[in-house]
Amino acid sequence: MSLLDAIGGAFALFLSGDSALWRIIWISLKTSLTGLALATPPAVVLGYAIAAHRFPGRRIAIWLAQAALSLPTVLIGLVLYLLLSRAGPLGSLHWLFSQPGVVAGQFVIAMPVLVAFTLAAVQAADPRYAETAIAHGASSWRVMATVLHEVRFGVMAAIISGFGRVISEVGCALMVGGNIAGETRTITTAIALETSKGDFSQGIALGMVLVAIALLMNGALMLLQGDAHMARGHT
Amino acid sequence: MSALLVIEHLHKQFGARHLFDIEHFSLDAATAYVLTGVNGAGKSTLLRVLDGLEPAEAAALSFDGKALALAPYPGAMRLAVGYVHQHPIMFSTSVAHNIGYGLVARGAPKARVDDAVAQAMAWAGVEHLQAADPASLSGGEKQRVALARAKVLRPRLLLLDEPTANLDGAAREQVIALIPTLIAAGSSVVMACHDPDLIGLAGVRRLKLRDGRIEYR
Repeated sequence: MSLLDAIGGAFALFLSGDSALWRIIWISLKTSLTGLALATPPAVVLGYAIAAHRFPGRRIAIWLAQAALSLPTVLIGLVLYLLLSRAGPLGSLHWLFSQPGVVAGQFVIAMPVLVAFTLAAVQAADPRYAETAIAHGASSWRVMATVLHEVRFGVMAAIISGFGRVISEVGCALMVGGNIAGETRTITTAIALETSKGDFSQGIALGMVLVAIALLMNGALMLLQGDAHMARGHT
Repeated sequence: MSALLVIEHLHKQFGARHLFDIEHFSLDAATAYVLTGVNGAGKSTLLRVLDGLEPAEAAALSFDGKALALAPYPGAMRLAVGYVHQHPIMFSTSVAHNIGYGLVARGAPKARVDDAVAQAMAWAGVEHLQAADPASLSGGEKQRVALARAKVLRPRLLLLDEPTANLDGAAREQVIALIPTLIAAGSSVVMACHDPDLIGLAGVRRLKLRDGRIEYR
């Protein structure tokens, strides 16, 4: 099959409304967004806490948060596989080769991105935001909410980057999800499978979806950064 | 005049540098002070220490007649002491939200917040800025909004760090005009400043921070 044939086949798949293709896209979006939604609140609080407070081991916490960005997703998948396998400590959950297992993987993959980006955003924030909140009697939680509101563009960039990371990863979803059709087959695991089978049309169609998502994510990031620059320009 | 705040042996150092070592520091209730001293004397740091934004050591502290510890910063002082930064920062919400921030943080009912904010905006002459983007305010407008933001909390002690610094012309005069009304409202006010018009305000006592010690004048 030539590249042109494969691309033509990909468009044909889109136009035909191929249910298997859309099911894969749906599972990918569902597991990625769920994992991201579950990871965002604790990660943002953790990123804020590390950035805003002085405590013993803080530098190590920052180092670990940043180093975790580089963790290979297959390694995360391997650890999760061992934890979730029948003999593992979390085996009773029966999450291996299921969507909750994939979501757990996306959760773990998203955490470092969200923590590190939130940490950087809070560290870069003007300290007068927190001081002004404290001086006006705000509780610790309100101080956090106030500062996070002021760095909301950075937090949104963290979420968008986290989504980009989880939607495009393949190693963990493949190991923990098992690439089961209609259940745990995601865009990336499907691309890997279809390519190994020589069915390039579906791989290219799914790749086009990933590229579209990447373009959308980066476009959103650029818009956010533009808004943030405009907001800073006023101060 | 009764003492509002008394601190014995107030000590602050940054690393090996001893910024100030004040044997006895006291402020009377409903009294205005200007705090002068050369640049780097520690005026701003002293105000930040008094508002709990900067750690320091104190042998003894009493506020409103009650013995308290300086660290952790006492909740009673957090509710009673206000602080306005030399370069006040505005939250990116609205001018009205900025002024009502402290009241909302303290759980005041919405009707009371709205009423107090409206009064404070009128007091500071910033009613016309109600719908303005806080980030677009001029330096003088920010300073007036920040004074209103502190005033709505009716502090027993209000700390103003260089309230007229970087302001000139009408903006400076508008801010200076607000200070006597703050003092008249019954708050003790400490202004770290070099501004002769503030130093010369009627009834204002002088404190000078020199060589790490306070001189009462």
